[in-house]
Amino acid sequence: MSKSHSPRLLRPETLTALGTIVVAAAFLFPTASLKPISALLPGAMLIGMALLSVLLLISDQRKAGSGEEAQSMTSAPKRVFGAFLLIVSYALSTDFIGFYVSTAVAIPLVAYVFGYRSLPGLALATVIVVGAIYLIFDFGMAQTFPSGRLWQS
Amino acid sequence: MYADLLDALPHVLGIYNFVALVIGVIAGIVVGAMPGLSATMAISVLVPFTFGLEPLVALGLMAGIYNGAMYGGAIPAVLLRIPGTPAAVATTFDGYPMAQKGEGGFALQVAVVSSAIGGIASAFALMLLAPPLSKVTLLFGPSEVFWVAVFGLASIIFLLGGNPIKGLISACFGVFVSVVGADPISGADRYTFDQLELLDGVSIVILLVGLYALPPVIDLLEVPLKTDQVTDNKLGTEPIWRTLPRMFRFWKTWIRSSLFGIWIGILPGAGGSMAAFMSYNEARRASQTPDTWGNGEPEGVAASETANNADTASALIPALTLGIPGTAVAAVMLGGLLIHGLQPGPMLFRESPTIVFGFMWQFLFGAILLILLGGSLATNSFAKLLNLPRPLLGSVIIVLMLIGVYSINGRMFDVYLMLGFGAIGYVMDKLKFPLPPVVLGLILGSYAEENLRLALRIGRGDWTILFANTTSLVLVALTVAVIFGPSVKRRFFAKRDDEETAKK
Amino acid sequence: MIKLIQTTALASAMILSAGAALAEYPEKPIEVIVGYSAGGGTDVMARTTMPFIEKYLGNGASIVVKNMPGASGQIGVTKAATSAPDGYTLGTFNLPGMMARTIDRKADYSADSFTYLANVVNDPNVIVTSKSTGLDTLEKLLAKAKEEPGAVTVGMSSLGGDDHFALIKLQNQTKTEFTIVPFKGSAPARTAVMGGHVMMGIFNVSEVAKFEGELNILGVAQAERSEFAPDVPTFKEQGIDLINGSMRGVIAPKGLPKDVEEKLINAFKQAAKDPEFIKAMNATANPVEMVTGDDFKALTSELYDLAKGVWETTPWK
Repeated sequence: MSKSHSPRLLRPETLTALGTIVVAAAFLFPTASLKPISALLPGAMLIGMALLSVLLLISDQRKAGSGEEAQSMTSAPKRVFGAFLLIVSYALSTDFIGFYVSTAVAIPLVAYVFGYRSLPGLALATVIVVGAIYLIFDFGMAQTFPSGRLWQS
Repeated sequence: MYADLLDALPHVLGIYNFVALVIGVIAGIVVGAMPGLSATMAISVLVPFTFGLEPLVALGLMAGIYNGAMYGGAIPAVLLRIPGTPAAVATTFDGYPMAQKGEGGFALQVAVVSSAIGGIASAFALMLLAPPLSKVTLLFGPSEVFWVAVFGLASIIFLLGGNPIKGLISACFGVFVSVVGADPISGADRYTFDQLELLDGVSIVILLVGLYALPPVIDLLEVPLKTDQVTDNKLGTEPIWRTLPRMFRFWKTWIRSSLFGIWIGILPGAGGSMAAFMSYNEARRASQTPDTWGNGEPEGVAASETANNADTASALIPALTLGIPGTAVAAVMLGGLLIHGLQPGPMLFRESPTIVFGFMWQFLFGAILLILLGGSLATNSFAKLLNLPRPLLGSVIIVLMLIGVYSINGRMFDVYLMLGFGAIGYVMDKLKFPLPPVVLGLILGSYAEENLRLALRIGRGDWTILFANTTSLVLVALTVAVIFGPSVKRRFFAKRDDEETAKK
Repeated sequence: MIKLIQTTALASAMILSAGAALAEYPEKPIEVIVGYSAGGGTDVMARTTMPFIEKYLGNGASIVVKNMPGASGQIGVTKAATSAPDGYTLGTFNLPGMMARTIDRKADYSADSFTYLANVVNDPNVIVTSKSTGLDTLEKLLAKAKEEPGAVTVGMSSLGGDDHFALIKLQNQTKTEFTIVPFKGSAPARTAVMGGHVMMGIFNVSEVAKFEGELNILGVAQAERSEFAPDVPTFKEQGIDLINGSMRGVIAPKGLPKDVEEKLINAFKQAAKDPEFIKAMNATANPVEMVTGDDFKALTSELYDLAKGVWETTPWK
């Protein structure tokens, strides 16, 4: 994001406010099909969120009008996005491939990608964490983790 | 009854039972201290396993875990601004600023001493006053509980942070999330989109891990530096007996927060987080220097930690006497009792006195053990653990988050839900939307709604039932005082100031 | 692709299971899926029963209880209904709840999805009143309800459960009208009755047996008096034909090999005669009433009809 010329509508707060309004409005559709007594509280909250977001939008646009700099979300959007993506793919692979395999890969991978490059350190950490989880949860308390949907009937 | 209490003592001190308690406290501190793992999850994993154990061994483990985790949650709350358990949210308010000022060690010592004091007070309430206090619970029907929830929701106005619009959006969001699931009265599905997993609503642990643990983890990965070292001098670790005298000035807060915690504990459904929030607010209102709060005031840590431990044993009062658990953790523990054939009710105290009173002693000893085990051992080693290189710490926390959320119900759905909340939480965190109103909204939103609707059904649509008795009226008065008290006070003081300036 | 792998795997599992059934069942651990979290009434029933089933299956049988809580047991029972019918996955089954859920919401199973093994527990309903109301006999209660329809508030654990159906039966038989106050679970409802916030409550006998001193228990909805509260008369004795309760049993997916089914049913039958078993169950508030095989199936369809009838006349949501 360029510093001084970020378009008015792409300011993070404005975007969030707009997003909130859209999502809240979308949730009003399922609300309409509920009985009035069931719909009262969630409906009020959705409308409240939408109205407050309008206020937020106005105040942010005023700030933009007076030339105030928008607070930036992150200094390194790529890293943030990458981190989130890695976490989501870790969850997915736990679900489909299995917990232990995914964890044994994910710990060193995430740590390596984000700057911890000591191989013995990575190996040690992985063994300790995976081993401890196995001993406490699986061995100690018969708590099973996903074994991978791909391999199951 | 007090004779039964003494008779149970030797059983508790039996070697296996005592070792179970010690292991429980240590395990609890560890579980609480690991971001992502919670006491609710630990005990629900433990319950089926205890089927084959002696009752007092099983209960000792559970009592230990409960007490330990309530303090353990403070460790990452102070050091990383990640509350280890839902009840530690209020501990971040002042604990984290203290750590940044280099007083993290002192913050943890305040936390451990306060936790132990709260726990001891609560254990005494359970041991000595359980039957009379259960009569207090009976006073609270749906309309009274509704007012308690409103009282709790009113305290949100103190948590709004710098920008009230954002604070209110957060609160609305929390309340909205609370209504997801089967409608409490009719059972109609609300926003479940045919997902059975959503019918029981969103568990507080899932929301908490998503909102509070994921954003800091991404921060850990985002900035490619080495950890800003949590070294000894930053922690400012001094032996606990030397720092203890500096804490005695909190005595009023200790007493007030203990009473708050015990009171919230005996009310069904509200739980430790509400106790911590409310006693934090009350302590701040009573303080001479309210401006230092939120910027590293040790008394704030004391208020929150005393209260969240003070509701542990007291939450078992309604659980044991009436079968209604005061907190989510107590609900899981109730399952642990049932598995051993201990059915709650007034008869329980007569039928299995050794076990019930033994269980109470275990709460007391668990709270005392906290100082010994938490004070030195656990706190220091955890502070070192958080010294790991940032990327490694981040990746380990990710794994803990996954198993912590997965293990509650044993399903991946909850993990995906948690990641969704994490994404929302990240945006909220970066745009400075306050998170505490979301937590309080989730806890109290549907709770207030359910009780209001029950009350109206009982009154057959007549709204005056909400004001029909003294307990309700007292609660209404309290709520009004909390909301309007500060502004009235301010106006009053402002006037006096004006008069004084006029005189000059 | 995944679908294909799954189908192939399923097919081979079925072939294997057919083979396994010919050999001595059971050859590997049997899993029982409980739709509630550990420590709930159904979970305790399963955990208490299963050691006895292991014993009577013989052959070194081992049974593992697995909790899949959520949606009032629906997640677990759906999983059990859709598992491979090889005798190595069983599930707990609650009546009338599991049938009522097929009526009041979309369910991925029906009464035909199961092989019915045994209903183990029948916990009859009771009617209680708050001490503060002074309505200490059924007669007084009904008189009050007739005098002012809707004036009597009734606390219960939820709508569409056994308590609710018991009340509907009572209303139909006595031509009375009550105001239903559905709490979230029976313990809060019971507390509200004790505190006098609602006048009357409908529960199961095991839920109030420990509270006999704090509540008026007016009657039990069973053919004979319950062991849990032997002093409480049945409704029959008081001239009302009200029999209703909450039941917990064990099912398998439909299509279980015949010999496996027989083996399992036999094990349940033998357990029912074991005094140790009855004792263990009573200690955990589970009144045993063993109904096996086809009788269990008939019981299920009877309760389905009841729920359907109630839903058609007075839908609860």
